[in-house]
Amino acid sequence: MGQQQVAERSVRVVIVDDHSIFRSGLKADLDASIEVVGEAQDVESAVRVVTATAPDVVLLDVHLPDGAVAADAATAVAAAPSGGAAVIGQAAPLVPGTRFLALSVSDSAEDVVGVIRAGARGYITKGSSGIDVSRAVHAVAGGDAVFSPRLAGFVLDAFGVVSGEVASTDEELDRLSVREQEVMRLIARGYAYKEVASELFISPKTVETHVSAVLRKLQLSSRHELTAWATARKLL
Amino acid sequence: MATGVSAGLATHLGWPVGVVRAIFVVLALFSGLGILLYFWFWAFMPFEVATSESDTVTRSAPVGWGLVVLSALAAGLALYLGRNNYYYEAWPFAEVAPPLLAAIALAVAASFWVTFVDRIDPERGRRTEKLVRTAVTVVLGVLVISVLFGPFAAQRSIYAIVYALLLLLGIALVFAPVLLRLWRELGAERTRRVREEQRSEIAAHLHDSVLQTLALIQNRAGASSEVARIARAQERELRSWLFEADAPADSDLATDLRDWAAALELDYPVRVDVVVVGESGERASGEIAAAAREAMLNAARHAGGEVSVYIEGTAHAVEVFVRDRGPGFAVADVAADRLGVRESIIGRMRRAGGSATVGVGAGGTGTEVRLRFGAPLTNGAKPAASAEQTTQNGATTGG
Repeated sequence: MGQQQVAERSVRVVIVDDHSIFRSGLKADLDASIEVVGEAQDVESAVRVVTATAPDVVLLDVHLPDGAVAADAATAVAAAPSGGAAVIGQAAPLVPGTRFLALSVSDSAEDVVGVIRAGARGYITKGSSGIDVSRAVHAVAGGDAVFSPRLAGFVLDAFGVVSGEVASTDEELDRLSVREQEVMRLIARGYAYKEVASELFISPKTVETHVSAVLRKLQLSSRHELTAWATARKLL
Repeated sequence: MATGVSAGLATHLGWPVGVVRAIFVVLALFSGLGILLYFWFWAFMPFEVATSESDTVTRSAPVGWGLVVLSALAAGLALYLGRNNYYYEAWPFAEVAPPLLAAIALAVAASFWVTFVDRIDPERGRRTEKLVRTAVTVVLGVLVISVLFGPFAAQRSIYAIVYALLLLLGIALVFAPVLLRLWRELGAERTRRVREEQRSEIAAHLHDSVLQTLALIQNRAGASSEVARIARAQERELRSWLFEADAPADSDLATDLRDWAAALELDYPVRVDVVVVGESGERASGEIAAAAREAMLNAARHAGGEVSVYIEGTAHAVEVFVRDRGPGFAVADVAADRLGVRESIIGRMRRAGGSATVGVGAGGTGTEVRLRFGAPLTNGAKPAASAEQTTQNGATTGG
C-alpha cells in the first residue's frame, strides 16, 4: 500500500488536535509526501493557523476545546457544534482551496455527521495507522471523499435505502440512486473502493464519483430523518 | 395468621412466629389489649418489600373506604343534631361541633391514608385515591352547603360561619397530600436532572481525555497487537457505558453480534467492525444469529486482521455479511469430516428456512459469508446480490 504512494508533490497539511502527543505522533507517522505546515490545539488557534497557511488539507479533530466558551465544555458531548465543525464554519470561507479531513475517536455517527455536514470531505478514526491517514489525506487532497463502513451504514439508514427508496433523478438530494446504494452497501460491507469497482464492473474513478455524490447529499440533504437525527443529538 | 402481622413482627424482632402469636393470644385473653395491638400493627405495619415471588400484598380491609364511611356517618350525625335543635338555636356548638370535627378529621385521615399508604398498593393505587378523595370532598361539601344554605340558613348564627370555615379548611387539608406529593416529585425530578447533568459532564470529560488516550494507544501500538486490542475493548466498554446507558437490555441481533465481536476481539488478534442498517426484529437467539456468530468466529480464528460484519434488516428479511481478508477457502476443499462451515452455517440456515453462501471476498482475497433469512430481496438490493453471485465459487445452498 505504502510503496505505490503518490510521489507527485507533497501535500501541505495542518494538524488540529488538542492533544500534543497525538499531534506529534501523527506527524511522525505521516509519510514523506505529506508536509505538516502547522499545528493548532483549539478552535481559535486553528482558524488562525489555517487561514495563515492555507494548506491543502486540514486534519481536524472533531472534539476540540472551544477556547472562548471553556465554561460550556461541561456539556460538550451533548452540545454542539463540536469544535471541529466550528473550525470549518469559520475557516472554510476564508480558504476556499483547503479541504478538511475529520479525525475522530471513533467512527460512530455521533462523532462524525456534524463535521461532515459542516463541510468535511471525510473522516478517519484516530486509531488508524499512519499509512491509512496518509492515504486518506491524499484522497481528500485529490478531491475525493473518505467514507468508512460505519458512515456508509449510517447513510443507508438515513436515506431510507432499507425501506426501498430510490432517487428518480441524479439531482435529487434526499434519496440515493441505485448505483449509489450499491456502492454504499459494499462500502458498508467493508469493501475498499478498488474492490467495489471490480465488484460492480466500474472504474475506481466512477466509484469515487459516486461516493463524492453521496457525500454531497449527506451535506446538503434536508431529509427529515437526517436533520431530525442530527438535531436530536444537537449536531446542527 | 390472617394478615401476616405475627409473621411480620416475628421477622422484625427475630423471634419465632409461634412465640409472637402466643403473646398476642395471651394478651387478648387478659384484657383485649392483644386484639387492639393486633389491629394497630395490622394497620401500620409496612409491607414487606416485594421479592421475587408474586407477593404483591393487599391489605384485605379497605382502610381508606372505612374512613370515608365513618366520616360520612359523623357528617350525618352532625346534620341530624343540627336539625333537631331547630327550636333553640341553629347549629348549637356543643352538640354539632364534635361530630363535625370528627367528620373533618376522618375525611382528612382517609385522604392521607390513600395517598401515602394505599398508593404503593397495586390493587388500589391512583384510581382508589381519586375516588376516595372525591367521596370525602363530597361529604364535606354537603356539610358546607347545608350549614350555609340549608333549611335553617335563615337563622344563621355566627357558628355557621365558623363551621363553614372549618369545613373549607378540612377540604383544603384533604387535598394537601396531593400538593405534598407533587412537591416530592418535583424534588425527585430536580435530583434526576442534576444527576443527568453531572453524568453528561463526566461523559464529556472522559470523552475528551480517556477515550482520546485509548485511541492514541491503539494507534501507537499497531492495529492488532495485544495492547491495542485491550485498549479497543476498554474504549468500547467505556463508550457504551457513557452513551448507551439507556439502551434496552433486550438483546436483538445487532446488539448480540456487537457483543460477540467485542468478545472475539479479546480472544483473537482481530478487529471486527459491525455495521447495522435498518431495524430488525430478529431475535438474538435465532438461527441466523447463531450462524453469524459461527461465521465471525471462523473469520477471527482463521483469518484475523480486519473483519467486517454488515447487518441489514428490513421488516421482512434480514441479511448478514461477514467478510474477512484472510487466506480464504472454498467449501468444496474442506475435508468432509470438518463440519464447521457446512453444518453450523449452511446447514443451520437451510434448516431454518434461510440461505447461506460462502464465497471468496471481493478482489479475490478473504472469505465472505452471506446469510439471509426471510422474504425475497426487493428490487433495490438485487443488482448487488446478483453481481456477487459471479464471484462465488463455494457451495451455494438455497432455502
